[in-house]
Amino acid sequence: MTPESMTPASMTKGTLAALIALATGALCWALSSTIPALGNWPDAWTLPAVSWIGAGAEWLIDLLKPAGRLVALVLGYPMEWARMLFVSTPWPLLIGLVTALGWHLGGWRMVALGALGLGFVVSTGYWTESMNTLSLVAVSVPLALLAGGGIGIAANEFPRLKSAVQSVLDVMQTIPTFAYLTPLLVLFGFGPVVGLIASAIYAAPPMARNVILGLERVEPEIREAAIMSGGTRFQQLFEVEIPSAAQQIFVGVNQCLMAALSMVIIAAVIGGFNDIGWEVLLTMRKAQFGQALLAGFVIVVFAIVIDRMSGVLAEPRRHFDSRITYTLMAIAFLATAITWGRLPDPATYDLFGSTADFVDSTLGAFTAANGAMLDSVKNGAMFYFLLPLRIGLDDSVLTFTWGFDWTKSMTAGWFILAFAVGGWLAWRGHRVVGLMVIIAAGILQTGVSQLPWPFVLVGIGVLGWVSGGRKLALTVSFMLIAIFLMGLWERALLSLYLSGAAVFACAVLGGAVGLLCAVNRTAWRVVQPICDMLQTIPLFVFLIPVLMFFQIGEFSAFLAIIAYAIVPMIRYTRHGLTTTPDEMVEAAISSGATGWQIMREVRFPYALPTILLGLNQTILFAFAMLVIAALIGTTGLGQSIYLALGKADVGLGIAAGIAMAILAMIADRLVQGFADEQRKALGLKT
Amino acid sequence: MDGRKRGDLEACRGCCHKVTPGKTSAGADHAPVAPAIVCKGLWKVFGDKGSQHLSSALGQEEADTEAVAASLIDRGLIPAVRNATFDVHASEIFVIMGLSGSGKSTLVRCLSRLLESTSGSVHLGGEDLLQASPKRLIELRRTKLGMVFQHFGLFPHMNVADNVAFPLKMQGQGKNERLQRAHEVVKLVGLEGREDAYPRELSGGQRQRVGIARSLAADPEVWFLDEPFSALDPLIRRQLQDEFLDIQARLKKSIVFITHDIAEALKLADRIAIMRDGNIIQIGTPTEIVLNPVDDYVREFSRDVAKGRHATVASIMKTNGKLPTLNKSGPALNLGMTLDDALASCVSTYKPVPVVDGEGKVRGAVDPADLTAALQVDHS
Ligand SMILES: Nc1ncnc2c1ncn2[C@@H]1O[C@H](COP(=O)(O)OP(=O)(O)OP(=O)(O)O)[C@@H](O)[C@H]1O
Ligand SMILES: [Mg+2]
Repeated sequence: MTPESMTPASMTKGTLAALIALATGALCWALSSTIPALGNWPDAWTLPAVSWIGAGAEWLIDLLKPAGRLVALVLGYPMEWARMLFVSTPWPLLIGLVTALGWHLGGWRMVALGALGLGFVVSTGYWTESMNTLSLVAVSVPLALLAGGGIGIAANEFPRLKSAVQSVLDVMQTIPTFAYLTPLLVLFGFGPVVGLIASAIYAAPPMARNVILGLERVEPEIREAAIMSGGTRFQQLFEVEIPSAAQQIFVGVNQCLMAALSMVIIAAVIGGFNDIGWEVLLTMRKAQFGQALLAGFVIVVFAIVIDRMSGVLAEPRRHFDSRITYTLMAIAFLATAITWGRLPDPATYDLFGSTADFVDSTLGAFTAANGAMLDSVKNGAMFYFLLPLRIGLDDSVLTFTWGFDWTKSMTAGWFILAFAVGGWLAWRGHRVVGLMVIIAAGILQTGVSQLPWPFVLVGIGVLGWVSGGRKLALTVSFMLIAIFLMGLWERALLSLYLSGAAVFACAVLGGAVGLLCAVNRTAWRVVQPICDMLQTIPLFVFLIPVLMFFQIGEFSAFLAIIAYAIVPMIRYTRHGLTTTPDEMVEAAISSGATGWQIMREVRFPYALPTILLGLNQTILFAFAMLVIAALIGTTGLGQSIYLALGKADVGLGIAAGIAMAILAMIADRLVQGFADEQRKALGLKT
Repeated sequence: MDGRKRGDLEACRGCCHKVTPGKTSAGADHAPVAPAIVCKGLWKVFGDKGSQHLSSALGQEEADTEAVAASLIDRGLIPAVRNATFDVHASEIFVIMGLSGSGKSTLVRCLSRLLESTSGSVHLGGEDLLQASPKRLIELRRTKLGMVFQHFGLFPHMNVADNVAFPLKMQGQGKNERLQRAHEVVKLVGLEGREDAYPRELSGGQRQRVGIARSLAADPEVWFLDEPFSALDPLIRRQLQDEFLDIQARLKKSIVFITHDIAEALKLADRIAIMRDGNIIQIGTPTEIVLNPVDDYVREFSRDVAKGRHATVASIMKTNGKLPTLNKSGPALNLGMTLDDALASCVSTYKPVPVVDGEGKVRGAVDPADLTAALQVDHS
């Protein structure tokens, strides 16, 4: 019997699912006072998974430790060499060489980018710290490229391996960055090698992914032509397939570089390497926001230079006069020779010191003058949006904040209102929407962090059923049960709440901006570079500006998550809305549709799968940032992972990392399922 | 070259073909040369465990192709090529024609072993290609097989010269040597001077010339072309067809040419095999296909074709009974004449007209009534 055949003819899958969820919620709510086990997952039912995982991991780590220490020792050498090389190379030479490379890759634009960017870095006085960071990247990236490339090629050569490799890569993408650090720290011992290896592990998957994708996309006829030319498998792969896939592979190289840089900077929380990430952390802790911002800019500059220069590789190749390359190199050597021994230590340069001080004092003055305003922004968001969402209207509506206390009769009134609105919507034919309104009212009344577990389980289950059928329903339910059993459910709910709030804000704001950019070219011209910029900045740096204005706390974390996670929502919304096939738009125009009618009736439905993919990215980005935001005060799984790092608690670190990954995967599967559904409905996919 | 010498072959061709270059006459008295490719009982079944299902179905259904195929389809498999059996003669252009999805590409890919056949055999000069070891297969592809693809399959990161020289590079030829040869072949396809261009800088027609040049670089004996001209616009297509015939007149490869275009098939083919749903339903010369279609499917193909331009007098003449004598003043037809031409020269007569061969000897007779009947377009 198919699921459809069980549904009464008059009821769609969505209506049935919403009804089931609603019934479960109502039941839990009604019985919660008599059966407390229906509220929070009872402790008695949890497995001591954290300590099991801890014991298992520690056993494994103890087993691997000698090897780990050996690897650390061995990797210590190239790392030290790279560090020596970068730190002791006179800066004029390095800048000159990068400039020459810039010309070779992309002409004058890249020359200007390299010279100005690195010139800025020198003038901040952070040269040595930057070179320390760069040397880690320089060693971890080749490792990641080799590993990622090797994995990608292996997956391509052995089709049986492919799906396994791809699911591992999927999971790795969802494991939060910090979660890698704790086990590595225990395995390899305290020191920069941990950052190196973490960044290699973190940066390899994008490379592997793109290699697989690139090789998959080589036209069958090109592959066949190589076969028919009598190439051996080795010749086919290295003479034809890999070169044909070069552009996609260079996209992988670019992503690999950016991931490695991002992770190296995150790994600075371990400390001990005097790198630029550490500098940011240090100054942030000391509330020297001017300096933190300066160091943050250095990171951003590096990110942009590396991104744009390696990004050129992924575009169709253009050739630039190699004589100019050599001239630039000659100038670099000449300048180095002339200034040899005469340049002061770059650490003493401080062109922007006064600017940093100025920022600090201005900021101080600003917060002093506008403290009340900033506080009211923050408190407004907290009291009227975040808190009710977290602990429910009944607990958050207090005289102290709202001016009155929530009473039983208000609960009744609230539900009557919800049923009225929901009923009216259902009567108008929007049955699913009506039911959703009632469910949303219930969630808001209870608070996300206090939702009864059966309701969440059933709710996620039916969502899975609607978006991807019975198999998906079972998959997501089991994943959720794993979190219950690990005893991490309460913390998971807290994470869910904050990322949910941020994703909601991103969806509304990002969707609106995306729509604006779709209808207005000028808006996109302004927004596009901002998006490019936001996407290049390593996660870490987002914390500086929010801290400057809103101090440590949940609201700052919320803002940082939005700033990072909003970009895909904007991009995909605009992209989806602007890439409707011309014929469809023309057909609508010739039917006499107005601009908005076209938008609503043609462009939006067509764009929906794309927009959903954007939402999916936004969710994944939000989870990634959630963990970083633990540095500035969030509760939930991110905090657990961060605490585990401090205490070197492998069990908690891994378990919380897994739980986080599970949440991300559930969200990912559900949204992908809906996107697929929509694509099928549009006939874009069979 | 298994004892067969090129010299013999050419001498033979010289004596029995003198119609258009590259086209053999429809004569039944074909040269007794060993066929270049012998394909026997070839099956290609897509789907899980295709070969197991095929052998069990073959066991049950006692060699009735249709029943076997039906049983495979019932099991959820796709029999894309069903029991294909045919020969490709040395130096002939063997065209495989059929509608989209009829299995042409699958068949030619089985011949070249880009796909592994599910069962059957393909002999190439006495050697079973399907049993060749991977190493032997590479060797065969390097020396004996060439292939041209519908969408060209050019390597985007190589220029024309490197694309063309690629098969030679695979053989391990030195750079100068192979570029020298590439230059020759590029000249043969009329692309001289464009050696340094990249595929993206060329037009479709030029790209396919590169594809053709590449497949000829290693001077293969057997040449596979899978809809080589289908992606080109009609004018360029015609031009390349003519050049293809020119090249074939010079090189005399044994060719398997795939197309879905009946006009192209009739223009190029020495013999045509028509495919439907994985079956080869008729093999014959263009004339036979046009004049004696085995069923409605084949008839449907030739429906819009002006038969008079393709069929020759030989296909409808009578050779038995009393032949009319040659009359100096009366009309006489030539063996290789098309029906259109024949009709023009005997519009005014009602008696059988003698048909003469190249030496003026009477070989048969054509009744004008048969002639007009043959020219009727089918409406059934
Ligand atoms: N890899 C495959 N897996 C499953 N079925 C396939 C595969 N390749 C081809 N087929 C099926 O085999 C049948 C024959 O396909 P084939 O490509 O040989 O047709 P064709 O005659 O070349 O058509 P066209 O003129 O469109 O190129 C089709 O029904 C196709 O769907
Ligand atoms: Mg085909």
